[in-house]
Amino acid sequence: MIQVQDLSKSFTDSKRGTRMAVDRVSFEVHAGEVFGLLGPNGAGKTTTLRLIATLLKPSSGTATLNGFDINKEPGKVREQIGFLSGDMGLYARLTPREILEFFGKLNGMANGRRTQRINDLFSLFDMQSFADVRTDKLSTGMKQKTAIARTMLHDPPILILDEPTSGLDVPTARTIETAIVDAKHAGKCIVYSTHVMEEAEYLCDRIAVINDGQLKMTGTMDQLRTATGKHRLREIFLDLLGLPPDK
Amino acid sequence: MRFSMISTIYRKEMLDMLRDRRTMISMVVVPLVVFPLVVSVMLRFSSRLEQNAETEARSMGIAARVTTPSVREALEKTGLAIKEKDDLRAAVEKKESAASVEEKSGVIEIYVDSSNPTSSAAGDKIRTALTELKDQRIRQSLRTSGIPESVLTPFTVKRTNIAGERKMAGSVWGTMLGYIVLLLMFTGGMYPIIDMTAGEKERKTLEAFLASPAARREIVMGKTLAAMTAIFLTAMLTLGSMVYSLKNNRISAKSEEMRNMMRTIPLDANTLAMIVAVLIPVAVFAASIMFAIALFARSFKEGQSYLTPLMLLVIFPALLGGLPGLQLTPAMCLIPIFNASLVIRSILLGEVSTVNFAVTVGANLLYAAIAFVMATRQFEKESVLFRT
Repeated sequence: MIQVQDLSKSFTDSKRGTRMAVDRVSFEVHAGEVFGLLGPNGAGKTTTLRLIATLLKPSSGTATLNGFDINKEPGKVREQIGFLSGDMGLYARLTPREILEFFGKLNGMANGRRTQRINDLFSLFDMQSFADVRTDKLSTGMKQKTAIARTMLHDPPILILDEPTSGLDVPTARTIETAIVDAKHAGKCIVYSTHVMEEAEYLCDRIAVINDGQLKMTGTMDQLRTATGKHRLREIFLDLLGLPPDK
Repeated sequence: MRFSMISTIYRKEMLDMLRDRRTMISMVVVPLVVFPLVVSVMLRFSSRLEQNAETEARSMGIAARVTTPSVREALEKTGLAIKEKDDLRAAVEKKESAASVEEKSGVIEIYVDSSNPTSSAAGDKIRTALTELKDQRIRQSLRTSGIPESVLTPFTVKRTNIAGERKMAGSVWGTMLGYIVLLLMFTGGMYPIIDMTAGEKERKTLEAFLASPAARREIVMGKTLAAMTAIFLTAMLTLGSMVYSLKNNRISAKSEEMRNMMRTIPLDANTLAMIVAVLIPVAVFAASIMFAIALFARSFKEGQSYLTPLMLLVIFPALLGGLPGLQLTPAMCLIPIFNASLVIRSILLGEVSTVNFAVTVGANLLYAAIAFVMATRQFEKESVLFRT
């Protein structure tokens, strides 16, 4: 469902000159699969996700999402995806219902279907009690539930999630993880970026480790274990980054 | 571009905007409350100041050294108490008397402190009383000599204002209306535009928006239309509020003539339609240019510092365009803001030519289109949208 081929992105600024944020990255993600993208801060995870979500244009290479090329048909690509940025990005003066209504309309959902889907998501994430409260009055957990509901609203075949459980308490994080597992079982193709190793180990079918813009390794947990000789994902991650193991 | 998409974005921006306190203050409270309040307070204050000056002059009295009884009598008629002082000049300086009068050989000198309204008011009263006395004396002398009084007025100079009431009202209104409306259009649009550009970047809401199926041009169009609405609403509220507060303020002018002029503000349907036609392209231009500039900022605060110099750039041509005496030429109609201010003045005077009107509206439409393209291009630049 997602084919990323030699995707590269360079940025130029007066202080640091030209640097490769993403360097010839290639991977595939299939329907009904959660693909984890791990890497330290500044490794290129967010840039990769922004490239496949068509927020940025690649310097070279391409990706196709559900058959649509990010360079040729960015509008069509955006119709295939639900994108959750690392910062949630909610309108503070609007309520969760108004935000979902807005994004539902942007995604061309008909009135009846939109209302039904919004109510279903409010039930799924237990949001009824704050559905009509301005977002700036909500807790971090409530906001993140709103953000994930917005991402899943139009039932897209592809979900691109950048650190969806960052800063959440365990019960809220579990609600979101459960929703991701359910989406996977419903045949969604999910690209998932996180810093939480346990979460990646639990949720992801395959994992890619990225550092300095380059993919260091891609595979299932078993394949990563075999290749590195390490057992836990944390050890594998440190090993692939060339860092010493925990004492 | 899809209309449904633009309409969805427009309605969301309007909802967001109407819930923003800063926007509501600049868009509604300033034109509807602050402006009439300032006008009313200023006019009341200036009127009170005049009254106070007269009362104070009466209580302070004047110092006088006069020998002629008729002069003293004329001074007494002013109603100002007369005191004796050694140093007449010092008495005024030290505020012991509102003004002083000294009779020398053939000269009556009045000492006033013109920087002090009380002293000026007293000086005016003395001057009027003494001029009247002088006229009486001249008439009396002429009668004694058997010369007719008409010798004093061999001919009469009469000045007739051929400008009708409408034109006069247009001249008074034209100097300030264009300037205030244009300036408030920019200030009224400033906050919502910063909020929907730099504010959206700062609050990190832009990424999810950009990842939606809405095309960038559609986003710019929806946002710009919302900004235009804010700008236009500010202009209309300012216009309405100005007209209402000046028409209904009973102490807005001292003379009956001035009051009539205020009442005959030339805002018939035709004039209003022409002013609106001038303001629409300015609103598009203002919205787009501010959008393009504010988008470059990373935060609301930074957006404010980018747009504040623009306000200064608007003040100068808007003010200049309203100045009386400037003749509108087609070349002048090409200067943005200045042209709108000048044409509004000409419309109010009832003397705008079709050519100048068309050139102004046409030129501003062109500038609006250029500014809109600039805003769209800015919105397509990664270096602007993801500037860190």
